[in-house]
Amino acid sequence: MKQVNAISGQDLREMFVAATGWLEKSSAEIDALNVFPVPDGDCGTNMLLTMRSTMEEAYRAPDRSVSAVSQAMAKGALMGARGNSGVILSQILRGLAQSFAEKESFTAVDLVNGLQQSVTMAYKGLSNPVEGTMLTVIKDVAAAVQAQVSSDGGDLISVMESAVNAAGESVANTPMLLQVLREAGVVDAGGQGLYVILDGALRYLRGEMEQMRFRKPQIIVSEIHATKLPQMIAADEVPYGYCTEFLLKGEKVKTDKIRSKLEKKGESLIVVGDESAVRIHIHTLDPGEVISYAASLGTLHQMSIRNMDEQHQDYLEMQKDRAPAVDMAIITVASGDGLADVFNSLGTSAIVPGGQTMNPSTKDLLQAVESVPSDKVIILPNNKNIVATANQVQSLTEKTIEVVPAETIPQGVAALLAFDYEANLSTNVQIMKKAMSGVKSIEITRATRSTKIGELKIKKKQPIGLLDGDLIATGKNNADVLDQMLAKLDLDKVEVITIYYGADTKSAEAEEISSRIREQHPQLQIEVVRGDQPHYNYIVSIE
Amino acid sequence: MAIKIVTDSLSDITSDLAKELGITVVPLYVRFGEEVYRDRVEMTTEEFYHRLVHGNVLPTTTQPPPGDFVNVYKKLAKETDEILVIVVSSKLSGTYQSALQAASMIEEKCRIEVIDSQTVAMGLGLIVISAAKAAKAGANLDELADLVRKAMPRSHLIVYFDTLKYLAKGGRIGKAKEFLGSILSFKPILTVKDGEMSPLTRVRSTAAGMNYLYNFMAGFSKIEALAVEHAATPDEADGLVERLGSLYPKEHIYRSIVSPVLGTHTGPNAIALTVLEAEKA
Repeated sequence: MKQVNAISGQDLREMFVAATGWLEKSSAEIDALNVFPVPDGDCGTNMLLTMRSTMEEAYRAPDRSVSAVSQAMAKGALMGARGNSGVILSQILRGLAQSFAEKESFTAVDLVNGLQQSVTMAYKGLSNPVEGTMLTVIKDVAAAVQAQVSSDGGDLISVMESAVNAAGESVANTPMLLQVLREAGVVDAGGQGLYVILDGALRYLRGEMEQMRFRKPQIIVSEIHATKLPQMIAADEVPYGYCTEFLLKGEKVKTDKIRSKLEKKGESLIVVGDESAVRIHIHTLDPGEVISYAASLGTLHQMSIRNMDEQHQDYLEMQKDRAPAVDMAIITVASGDGLADVFNSLGTSAIVPGGQTMNPSTKDLLQAVESVPSDKVIILPNNKNIVATANQVQSLTEKTIEVVPAETIPQGVAALLAFDYEANLSTNVQIMKKAMSGVKSIEITRATRSTKIGELKIKKKQPIGLLDGDLIATGKNNADVLDQMLAKLDLDKVEVITIYYGADTKSAEAEEISSRIREQHPQLQIEVVRGDQPHYNYIVSIE
Repeated sequence: MAIKIVTDSLSDITSDLAKELGITVVPLYVRFGEEVYRDRVEMTTEEFYHRLVHGNVLPTTTQPPPGDFVNVYKKLAKETDEILVIVVSSKLSGTYQSALQAASMIEEKCRIEVIDSQTVAMGLGLIVISAAKAAKAGANLDELADLVRKAMPRSHLIVYFDTLKYLAKGGRIGKAKEFLGSILSFKPILTVKDGEMSPLTRVRSTAAGMNYLYNFMAGFSKIEALAVEHAATPDEADGLVERLGSLYPKEHIYRSIVSPVLGTHTGPNAIALTVLEAEKA
């Protein structure tokens, strides 16, 4: 076996050049792990840029002593440190440089001392060191290296092997130490980066430069499954699909080819491994396609397919139980899945089904009030006939109830949107009432019987239009009624029109109506939303 | 020797004002792929917003490395023996970490106090301006640090966003994530609370948003300083300043443009209003 007892400055530099190249190969995957301290997904890139700056400076060292090279590296790292991980990395290199001062080359014992100094510097660099990060990894590495040298002596290859092994184990353990990693089901990104750098250095010492060209660093997989999908928080429009994971064993498997083949099949693709075993992870809407492609390349193992929509729902349920009492809750009355979704997405705590011809009982409302984890509850009845029922609830509960007397869905939505997160209950009630009064509501439905109201003659089943509850128009079809009603309004001061189409209404008709309004009033912002409400073909909000 | 004041580019203090008040601004970095630019220095705001909206790579941002602060401290230490550093909230950026670390690396005899402002943009800027003025008037470091800490709770920043897309992508959305995932489109208004972005309310149009900002300002009885800044939407900012002019002398309103690093997270068309409330007598 090859043995190395001392490393010169030049070797130190080449070792880290190799390590930087090694890091480059996995920086994108390290980015993907990044959830702490800010889930901005750039940890790997930051570490890579820091290492590049480090190595550029290393070539400017005045001589080839390990002292000069390590000092130059520390300087380069300091000047080029990017992000938190880069900063910590620069502190680690600074520790080494301090320890290598005045030395022509370094031995295993020097390395032990250097890494101890790195740990000190890394911890010292942070006002609030957090365990389960790169800090823990470098600490574990330093301890392992010390143990190796005292038991087995001065071969630097064995020493670096112990360092890499310790780093790997430490990285795998990071989710046990840091909750945010546990929730995301990932290992610490910075720790992973450090592991890759040490691994790259070791491979250089072993003389494996040739093999490194064709391989990729191992990404350590967390044993814990995600309960939270941080990458999904931002992707509000991306459907969740299935988290599909498995191990592919075969011969001469080409990871790059698999990656390019799967890239378009979903999100969060990770393909890691070598030509005999590849771990594949992807969030896809069609796991079947991914699996049949992989099965054509070899055998599949450790298969796991999880429905992320369900996971997400479970997570939301879990959060609900765990959620501390929020100060204020809002309960709305609505019917139709679409309207329920609208209210839910705007932060309603509970929805009581009900509306025209289906008024909820006081008991229904009371149950909803008792189910929310807040002592102060605002009720939005969203129908004239439900306001009185809502007013009854206060006498039946110890919680503080306020009814914001919205009589239509548009009024309820306007009130909910205007909710002020910093204001108290009474101020909010005022704000919401004011917002409610600034909106006009149009409802289009069918006459239940023939009648005559004022000048209007109405036949049974004919489309009729109500403006804030008053019947003011009738016509041959929905579009006709809406046109008549809009003509009666002063649209100059209007900014936004929202059209909620009902369960019995085709979306194509709604789109047609909206594009006509858009043509006639190009200054308006028109939004069409699936409301699914019964009875009303259209509910239109004008604000 | 007069105390030197240092801040970072997220304070949105314009270079003219910085020069006038003797404030040193340390830039953060904005990165498109592997191209790195110094905030407000190496990339014009126009060019930046154009690339933000039309480019195919979304930018990311990063704090200044400690070395940048070391260089600034060393340079200033030749002229002073006391430096006050006031930086962006540590919950939004690692800049505080870099500034603090750099302070421990200085061998020059110079006292350096680093303060985490718990805010950003002109919320930070107005505090820095107020400190720089007091420094010119001869306050010592302890007095200044005290002044800054007392000003922090009086600095109220609210931001009208055209979209939360960029804030969500950059991972700095904080408690404002409650505003994500809505079916109905709206314009969010956020504030900074406990050092992170926090939801305030929602409006359905820019005009309603400007009304909200106007009313927010109108709610304060005594104002020490006022700032309006925008991300590539100067007309809206001018309109708001005109309206605010009925409540507060227009020429005293600080105007600025949201820096590229901050713009990476606000996206275009954001308008920010900062009220530095006067100290209660």
